[in-house]
Amino acid sequence: MTDVRAPEAATTDPGPPGRPARGAFGPADWLKWGWRQLTSMRIALVLLFLLALGTVPGSILPQQGADPAGVQQYDTSHPALAPLLNHLGLFNVFAAPWFAAIYLLLFASLVGCVVPRTFRLAGSARTLPPRAPRHLDKLPHSAEYGTTLPPGRAVELASAVLSGHGFRLRRPDDPAQAWVSAEKGYLREVGNLLFHLALLGVLVSVALGGLFGYKADRLLVQGDTFADTASALDEFHPGRLATGADLGPFTITLTHFTAAYITSGPQRGEPVSFDAQITYIAQPGGPSHTYNLQVNRPLSVDGAKVYLIGHGYAPVFRVTDARGQVVYDAPTPFVAGSTGNFLSDGVVKVPGAQPEQLGFTGVFVPTAVDIGGTLESAFPAAENPAVSLIAFAGNLGMDSGPPQSVYELDTAGMRRLTAEPQLLLPGQSLTLPQGQGTITFTGYLPWVSLAITHDPGQVPALVCGIAALGGLLLSFMVRRRRVFVRARASGPGSTVQVGGLARTDASGGFEAEFASLAAELRSAHSQHEEQ
Amino acid sequence: MFRTKRRAWVLAAAVIAAALLVVVLVDGWATSGSRDVTDVDGNPNAVLYAAGHRPLAPDFTGTTLTGSRLSFSSYRGRVVVVNFWGSWCVPCREEAPALAAAAQRYAPSGVAFLGVDVRDTTASAEAFARSFGITYPSVSDSSSQITLDFTAAVPIAGTPTTLVIDRTGRIAGAVFGQATYAELTTLLSVVDGKAPGR
Repeated sequence: MTDVRAPEAATTDPGPPGRPARGAFGPADWLKWGWRQLTSMRIALVLLFLLALGTVPGSILPQQGADPAGVQQYDTSHPALAPLLNHLGLFNVFAAPWFAAIYLLLFASLVGCVVPRTFRLAGSARTLPPRAPRHLDKLPHSAEYGTTLPPGRAVELASAVLSGHGFRLRRPDDPAQAWVSAEKGYLREVGNLLFHLALLGVLVSVALGGLFGYKADRLLVQGDTFADTASALDEFHPGRLATGADLGPFTITLTHFTAAYITSGPQRGEPVSFDAQITYIAQPGGPSHTYNLQVNRPLSVDGAKVYLIGHGYAPVFRVTDARGQVVYDAPTPFVAGSTGNFLSDGVVKVPGAQPEQLGFTGVFVPTAVDIGGTLESAFPAAENPAVSLIAFAGNLGMDSGPPQSVYELDTAGMRRLTAEPQLLLPGQSLTLPQGQGTITFTGYLPWVSLAITHDPGQVPALVCGIAALGGLLLSFMVRRRRVFVRARASGPGSTVQVGGLARTDASGGFEAEFASLAAELRSAHSQHEEQ
Repeated sequence: MFRTKRRAWVLAAAVIAAALLVVVLVDGWATSGSRDVTDVDGNPNAVLYAAGHRPLAPDFTGTTLTGSRLSFSSYRGRVVVVNFWGSWCVPCREEAPALAAAAQRYAPSGVAFLGVDVRDTTASAEAFARSFGITYPSVSDSSSQITLDFTAAVPIAGTPTTLVIDRTGRIAGAVFGQATYAELTTLLSVVDGKAPGR
């Protein structure tokens, strides 16, 4: 799972998990074997790979949550393949049982790997250095010198020096022996431990966000206000343990929206800036604040973040029915298609028209130009706005049946009133044939699309991520190293042996540290000789 | 060494089991309904709140479709049916005849009906009222502010929602989603407590 291994792991690990001995292999052993397999690094990597592989259909095929219209379109264009793909959950990958199985197994694998390792690391950080070896001259770094001090006194002095350098000491149990073991660099273990705990923290944070967070969308026409409550949102996707009651009770009004575009040169029509002036009230009855919402400048309110994610035009229509009643007078959001320059599609549904319901499919062009008889948009800003409408009369299918999309007109129960699309400029009206009434294009308003997200795991995940990185750096940069001192009686004084060992593969740099330590020990000893 | 391995294994299994148990319990607790609520006509989305467990309806003022001011407190002392609707909403159009009929039937008993027109415009809303012969007033809630205030008391998840408010101003019954005539009469017979005039 990770390259950061406990130093002890190499000596105490019985090697890769394998099958226990033949003969006594009961259900408990199978479980144990399965658990060991699941928590092995190999399986974790395989699961991680599968998870990545599983998201591929999610990015190739249209997904139910993000693009329901795309799914419908795919369904009609691939009548044989679509039901099969649907059966496999490929139109809603992230909710598919097989996808859940992969990430739950991965989660279990990571937890099962990290938890025991954490305990092992904690134990390793507490252990005392080992006893000093008998022959210190066989260690990678060693030094030897004579002193007139007796062995006991020499080791005493060495201990004081090493302790002064922050080494952890181990003295012999038998006071007759003259040696000391010293170890330093426990911060490496602390870093290791921090890394593993932080990794668990990241997992928990992500789960927290998934369970208690939510995502929501709302389209807001300039001048309109909405309250952050489930029925006022266009889309609301709460986490498993979140409900509409978790929505912050704020209210947002779009006072003004402007989009600026490059007006000349080869990049003409490219956006320069999007600027949404909003006022918001964080709590009912509270004071009103203004905010300038931009693409990378979300609003933080009530623990939620509000992002500006899109914009468009809402032409305003007024419809009078056959009886002379005004039955529709509203800005109607149109959505820009892929053709560019904000050529936008939309529908107008007038279910209250009498005696027959009216419907219109339309195209809004912000800067209308006639190119070979077809209506095109030359620029994304509204410099010469126009709409083109096709009128229908009959039954909209809104008085019973399934809920409808506001961007689609079900013309199954309707007849077309106008053979050709009718072009209208602001202020112009279209008189419908057969005395069905009139529709007037009175003007247009901009709209913005807002994404409201709440992820309680975001801050903990960031903190844990930083902690994991810090731990990793510590464990890479701090070396764990041991120094041993042994004194043997020799003539009137003793022979002092100093040995050093850096317990990390990349032990560069320890040589100099050892040399200076040995020199310091030697000078400490000689200083005390003179007294 | 074998013993410590075994202990770690048991510990890990126990941790996972405990975590699963917590998830199951929390999930069960979060999704289980309160016992102070009973379903109406077998529809889990149509509920009656037991006396003593009725949430207090918020007070609000609004502008009716005809342009006059309306204060909810002026209904105090009467049973009120508050219907959240929108002319754009298919189930609202589907339930409208049932509401119109119930309003007419219960008018003699003094039950008031009041619409809250959500995310709508006046022209469309008036056309809706004309189409379905709805004569009781509706206040405009294009900003969803009234809906927000009510959401603090009952979990309104969408439009339509119909609330039956008792004479003390408390929410006694609710239909989350499309209401039927039968559900409305069941709720009203309990809350109003009188047999409706024919």
